[in-house]
Amino acid sequence: MRTVYIIGVGMTKFGRFPESNVIELGRTAALNALRDAGINKKDIQVAYAGHARTGQLYNRECGVGQSILWELGISGIPISSVGNFCSSGSTALREAWMAVGTGMYDVAFAIGVEKLTGRAGKGRPLTSDGVELLTVMGFSPPIYFGNVATRHMADYGTTPEQCAMVAVKNRKNAGPNPRCQYKDPITIEEVLNSPVIVEPLTLLNCCPTTDGSAAAILCSKEVVSRYTSKPIEIAASALRSGPYKKCKDITTFGSDRMSALDAYETAGIGPEDIDFAEVHDCFTIAEIIHYEDFGFCKKGEGGRFVEEGMADMGGKLPVSPSGGLMSRGHPIGATGLAQVAEAVWQLRGVAENQVEGAKVAFTHCAGGFQDTIELGDVQSSAVTILKRGW
Amino acid sequence: MTTDNSASRVDTIGNLIDPKLKPFIKLPESPSGKPHLIGSKCSSCGEYFFPKRAVCPNCLKDEKPEDMLLGNKGKLYTYCIVKAAPLGFDAPYAIGYVDIPEGLRIFSPLTECDKGKIKIGMDLELIVDKIREDETGQAVYGYKFKPVSL
Repeated sequence: MRTVYIIGVGMTKFGRFPESNVIELGRTAALNALRDAGINKKDIQVAYAGHARTGQLYNRECGVGQSILWELGISGIPISSVGNFCSSGSTALREAWMAVGTGMYDVAFAIGVEKLTGRAGKGRPLTSDGVELLTVMGFSPPIYFGNVATRHMADYGTTPEQCAMVAVKNRKNAGPNPRCQYKDPITIEEVLNSPVIVEPLTLLNCCPTTDGSAAAILCSKEVVSRYTSKPIEIAASALRSGPYKKCKDITTFGSDRMSALDAYETAGIGPEDIDFAEVHDCFTIAEIIHYEDFGFCKKGEGGRFVEEGMADMGGKLPVSPSGGLMSRGHPIGATGLAQVAEAVWQLRGVAENQVEGAKVAFTHCAGGFQDTIELGDVQSSAVTILKRGW
Repeated sequence: MTTDNSASRVDTIGNLIDPKLKPFIKLPESPSGKPHLIGSKCSSCGEYFFPKRAVCPNCLKDEKPEDMLLGNKGKLYTYCIVKAAPLGFDAPYAIGYVDIPEGLRIFSPLTECDKGKIKIGMDLELIVDKIREDETGQAVYGYKFKPVSL
């Protein structure tokens, strides 16, 4: 694999935009990325679009990338859809990285988009994709993470207050970020006293329903100097599916541990070398477990990690300085690329909530469940390590 | 007469079980009998699976793993109490993962949803009960685990 750089990123604001449509959202983010890269659209050689619910919600399972790019006059090149649960956007980035890294193309586009406000069941949790058997028994993602939280609390003494601290921290981080869906500060009491979704998780322990899009343009080392003197290097892009293990421990995610190890190995770094992380905080308890699975702290100490301010701005390892899924929102297919866009701005030193002097970033997306009654692992986990390329 | 009534009750419950869950539930044949889950066991490597598998994923040798009645007792591994329910489900209800004797950790609704009465590690037994209602308001049955002590 040759070295691959990100030369441009773009996003829409994330939020509830019932009047918008998927193509409009994607077009806006893609155009922002083209302008950010200062690239001629004719230079784009291949594109991947990540989206996970457009088929179910808008009868548009394929062709989302073609339609977005057609509006921007980019056509006739290889374009394909990438669906991989909550990691769809990160997987689109990984496909683009491989397309350039293998030497087949010099410039690639990765786009992630989702519009979730069109879903039925307002006020009810988003159902998971493709888990018919579990769904007839009353399964939903908050139920999985409620079960995770109960056991983590029993095994390690993690408290609802510590979970709430994740939500409070990420909301504080969102304050200066104009792209976040929720920006007003919240308190631990407000999180604990918000309506219970699945005990022990209250509403403010769960990420919201969101529309949005994000995009990135990648190129090879050979051509990067044509576009920028400050590229962002993709030091690693790792992807794993959920491993099958009998009587798996619900307080750790196997796919995440494997993708993080892959990424550390490829990048030749460890958790101690990371300046900040954007992780998949779909539920507060998930972020606590991510600290542990990624080696930011020891197993079982995730609650204490957030309580002691280690994940705060200015802490040992700031986590989700953008506001995370909790505050930015989680348009499934867009999230992975939104994390990458936010990380690129951090590494360029121009983020609204800047981690001073950030040189190495860790981003992580994960999601999806196996349709089996046996306790299973999260079915996709993508980790991307980015660093300054100058 | 009593036996006939009970048998017809079992038939009725059988008809109410969610079609997706039906292949995995064995109703009792007599009124005093207990329901069981139907899993599979690989004749080659001896692994148990629930739900049953078409091919043993461990060794790929057994393409017709034999159906096995699994134990109808378990221990609670973890749980949560659902307050915002998916469509058709009546909140609050508890749902968790149960360790069954064949060495499997399985998803199951619980009969008890009073937090004070649910403990990780508690002994549970399998029952067949209403789990939700369909679009027409008709009760849909499935399996659940019930605390042995209650």
